[in-house]
Amino acid sequence: MKEASIAKHKYAPKLYKKMGREKHDRIFAVLLLLPALIIVGFTTFFPIAKSVIMSFFNYKLKANADYYWNDFLNYKELFQEGEIFSAIGTTFKFMTVTVILIFIIGLILSNILNKDVKGRAVLRSVVLLPWIIPTIVTGLLWMWIFQPQYGVLNYILMKLNIIADPINWVASMKFALYSVVTASVWRQIPFITIMLLAGMQGIPNDLYEAATIDGANSRQCFFKVTLPMLSNVIKSTLLISIITNFKQFPLFWIMTGGGPVNKTTTLAIMTYKNSFVNLNFGKGAAVSTIWLVILIVFSIVYNKVFKTARD
Amino acid sequence: MNSKPKKRSYIILIILLVFLVGPILWMFVTSFKDNIAIYKIPPEWLPHKPTLSNYINIFKDKLFMTYYMNNFITAFLTTFLTIIISILAGYSFSRFKFRGSQILLMAFLSVSIFPVVGIITALYSTFKNVGLLNTRAAVILTLTAANVPFCMWLMKGFFDDIPRALEEAAYIDGCGRLSTLIKVILPLCSPGILAIGLYTFLIAWDDYLYCLTLITDDKIRTLSNGISMRYLGELSYDWGNVMTVSVMASIPLLILFIFLQKYMIQGLTAGSVKG
Repeated sequence: MKEASIAKHKYAPKLYKKMGREKHDRIFAVLLLLPALIIVGFTTFFPIAKSVIMSFFNYKLKANADYYWNDFLNYKELFQEGEIFSAIGTTFKFMTVTVILIFIIGLILSNILNKDVKGRAVLRSVVLLPWIIPTIVTGLLWMWIFQPQYGVLNYILMKLNIIADPINWVASMKFALYSVVTASVWRQIPFITIMLLAGMQGIPNDLYEAATIDGANSRQCFFKVTLPMLSNVIKSTLLISIITNFKQFPLFWIMTGGGPVNKTTTLAIMTYKNSFVNLNFGKGAAVSTIWLVILIVFSIVYNKVFKTARD
Repeated sequence: MNSKPKKRSYIILIILLVFLVGPILWMFVTSFKDNIAIYKIPPEWLPHKPTLSNYINIFKDKLFMTYYMNNFITAFLTTFLTIIISILAGYSFSRFKFRGSQILLMAFLSVSIFPVVGIITALYSTFKNVGLLNTRAAVILTLTAANVPFCMWLMKGFFDDIPRALEEAAYIDGCGRLSTLIKVILPLCSPGILAIGLYTFLIAWDDYLYCLTLITDDKIRTLSNGISMRYLGELSYDWGNVMTVSVMASIPLLILFIFLQKYMIQGLTAGSVKG
């Protein structure tokens, strides 16, 4: 063992001398990157390209179905049926409502936990618990709470005389989307809270002292000191949560399956249904491609907006 | 800001705590009830006659135990693979700046935000062509690829904090590049490795979509999928059973969280707060 390692040590500088250290380093750098490139290339870069190409072809997973160029038929069908527009609308509605809610609640919660609350250390951990509950469990948990006959929510609301009859939350046209929003908000509050709290702890105390001497109350401190100092954290967490909610799939699939009557069909659900329920891969890929375009446009706009906001 | 909170803060805090922790407690309470107690109105807030029958049923269910083991295997292998690949790539990005390395890093990070559902169609047909469909490797590879970009970026941050002088010293002592990385640099960033490991484990444990599309064989199916296939009926669910499997699915993560919370949070906040 020992001899082998000594031999290796002698070998390495020899190699340097032979090739020159810089050239050796360059090869080493590429070798280090290779596994990442291969695996991400094979399962991400390549499928994205393939997905775009597939979207222009007739590609159905049925017996004796051919793979051929079909003159944008996938796209024509999508736009004529019009379901794609409502799916885009639902996706954005879900994303916007969820992101706004998690940011408001996250800001309130992190602001309280940043103060001298009793049992602060324990509370900071307890508040994080939903973050480690698996997504599918989150869905099931809330379905049990929303359950029409035996669910806790209906019982409490009826006890408090807020509603007269039990509501079938997950299956109702009015509330289905918001049922999923609730589950999604519940699971994401911890993440936002940790991020904002970490950001708040980085704000130097002198700033607050200076503001207080200048006569600022706690509300002014929050809006004039805390929020501006958090802008970087908010920028990055906002982007992460927008994307997370934009692509939410398991919660919808478990809780509503896209129903009732496509009321909660998002782009994610639509892609999945086209590809793996109707087995029309070309059409599923077309939905993904539209999705890709939306994401690219969005990220360009997002960067522009934040750049101009900083100037 | 260490100011004293007002009374109003405590009231808001209590409401939020009930919202955040209540459902988890309710899951535990329900799992200890028998079927009569579960469907009682008004609900029993604490089971009058707690029972372990749901748990006994689950442990007797061979298929559930298979799913459970599969989830461990998949999550561990994914974590292992992700750690190794992220260390190598992160180190390369941190120490060797070549033309286009910044662009490559950005390319990695931007494809990683692209929704998985969006590429799953193409992924399915690719895996079908190379014969990887319905194998454990399919899920492990895709999960690893999904985690590598973020994890290697985090590792790059950890490596950036380590002074280059260390490598020079090792070089003078006759240490090659790879052994410098393994023997000198890695021990210094073990908190970082732990952080990306926990982060990956959390995501791999949570996987639903990859298994749903890439695996149809019960022998290698993982937990989230197994639960939805086996315990979710068409019309009515056996809620005692469903809540018990939910508890079982959450417990490994709860245990990790109790002991390694600090590192989990570190991994999460390190990247975003700094950048």
